[in-house]
Amino acid sequence: MTPFELNTTIANLRDLRASDLSDYDAVYLGDIYCRIYEANFLERPGDLQEGLRILRDQGKRAYVTTYAAPRNDFLPGVRRMLETAASAGAEAVEVHNLGILKIAHDEFPQLPVHVGGFANLYTASGVEVLRGFGAVRFTPNYELSLDEIREITAGCDAPMELLVHGKMPLGVSDYCFLLDYEEKWGVKCPDLCQKELFLKQGDWAMKSVGKGILSGKDVCMLEHLPRLLAEGHRDFRIETISESPAYRREVAAVYRAALSRAAGGDVTLDEGWWETLRRHARIGLCNGFYFGKSGMEYAGLRPDSMGSLLTISRVES
Amino acid sequence: MVELLAPAGNLAMVEGAVGSGANAVYVGPRGWSRRRDQYEMPDEDVRAAIGIAHSGGAKLRVAFNTNMQSHEIAPMLAKMERFVAWGVDGAIMTDIGAIAEVHRRFPQLTIHASIGANILNDEDVRFYRSIGVSQVVADTKLTLKELASRKEKIDVGIEILIHANKCYTYLGKCWMSPYHRLERIADPFGKDLFKGSPNRGGLDYRVCLESWELYSGEELWEKSVALKNDAFFLLPDIPHLIDLGVDCLKVQGREYPVPLVERMVRFYRDLIDAYLASPKDESFDLSPWQSRLFSIQTERDAARSDGTRRLLDEARQPVVPVA
Repeated sequence: MTPFELNTTIANLRDLRASDLSDYDAVYLGDIYCRIYEANFLERPGDLQEGLRILRDQGKRAYVTTYAAPRNDFLPGVRRMLETAASAGAEAVEVHNLGILKIAHDEFPQLPVHVGGFANLYTASGVEVLRGFGAVRFTPNYELSLDEIREITAGCDAPMELLVHGKMPLGVSDYCFLLDYEEKWGVKCPDLCQKELFLKQGDWAMKSVGKGILSGKDVCMLEHLPRLLAEGHRDFRIETISESPAYRREVAAVYRAALSRAAGGDVTLDEGWWETLRRHARIGLCNGFYFGKSGMEYAGLRPDSMGSLLTISRVES
Repeated sequence: MVELLAPAGNLAMVEGAVGSGANAVYVGPRGWSRRRDQYEMPDEDVRAAIGIAHSGGAKLRVAFNTNMQSHEIAPMLAKMERFVAWGVDGAIMTDIGAIAEVHRRFPQLTIHASIGANILNDEDVRFYRSIGVSQVVADTKLTLKELASRKEKIDVGIEILIHANKCYTYLGKCWMSPYHRLERIADPFGKDLFKGSPNRGGLDYRVCLESWELYSGEELWEKSVALKNDAFFLLPDIPHLIDLGVDCLKVQGREYPVPLVERMVRFYRDLIDAYLASPKDESFDLSPWQSRLFSIQTERDAARSDGTRRLLDEARQPVVPVA
């Protein structure tokens, strides 16, 4: 058992089977944005059972996520999915919507609940409310800084799950604007949102997955892992819902190695790790909101991480 | 009787809204609501607003609808205590922790869940009811069928935005604006204004309205993609909403000029009164109302378009570090 958990998200059985999960401890199954995402686990109870079995066979903790913005007509399917998750041995369900939290608490009390980033947790008082509905782990809203997260944990001693790498969710919609272009581009749903699609204007960039908007840059907390561990965090997410199996494998290998090293008190970082992360970050790297600045900024010691051509120098701290 | 709720970004707007027929007015204490601070009020003005509203026979609600920081809960409660003592009629709130704390401390105070709470389904409503909310603002994407379900199944007040924006994303579940620019500045009382983060009380740079180029990898697929963010006025739906029994019709727009807000409020006051007075066995003719609304909409569109241009320009400005 490692002293930390590294997890990620996978939307369907095809991606699960194509992914080398050696460096992950746990996986969330399901796409939170769209019910018609190709073979979404959340719409296929049989696939979800199979996915949970595959994860268990690999010795991974198997979680199920849920929709970020469910309307009334989602709820019968959500109940079916929670039933499958509970009966097929999911170790937790992640909720982004407080209505689903209430359903999970009232109807599936045996299922531990993780609160997701779209649930808008901003305060220690919020943790207390969510605990009353059975929540046991919390992803604070992505807008919070590390200082603000520390303020929450100081107030309620709750385990936080933090996004340490990958594209940060920025918004969710009921409307897939990509569908307007199906004919023009000659690419149909469900292939459309699986293209690498970026909205750009000047130095601004966001990734589109149709009903979801993600950061253009990859959040990267590689050089801040010692601080995260020192502040008591143990559960870390690499967001790979819209990434390739190669991204999923290689980024996890970097973080597994860096976390293991940091947990042993060694804070050095290998140059090869940076090269891997930069190669996979099409737009560049950022720190999200962790340092109290705009989400697209990079506040660390590595200016080259932002995509400049400066010579890479070894970080010694 | 359905309530007409109007916005007020200053005391003149409170007077104008009440004088134009609003049954209730909402204001934001500076730094604590989903608007730029120039459209919010110092505490003494909130007190004056309560007086103006009450003397005109209207209610006054105060919007504390930011997602606040943990350490902001205590000063928020202190502020709320003053407003309750001054006779405020309700609080509009978003943050679940803050809602629970306010309900515990002021159990008699009516709490309205803000549009920022993004309450999308009936179970969401039940969650918010359980922590002390008695009235919820409906998301602008909801259908009449969904509202009817809510009205039929749950003992909760329903508020409908009749002049507001419909964003591409769900409101309250979007942080595109602060991803691009966030300025952490405190007001003279130490309140962080989170300029750039509407969920945290600052202005929204409306970056969704940028003319985005869409790339697949390195290949340009579209030169200009619009993420919809449209301001709207409801008109044909108003009779249906009244018949459905919604509790409140809400006009947004603290950022608009006072005369424009007065025209909006007067328009809806007259429309609601005319519909309620009309014979129930005859269809209600909306055509004269359409032409009257058209001129208001033209004026609003010009003001909004100008505001969007200024916000997008501002979003490109570097953040100057605080010394």
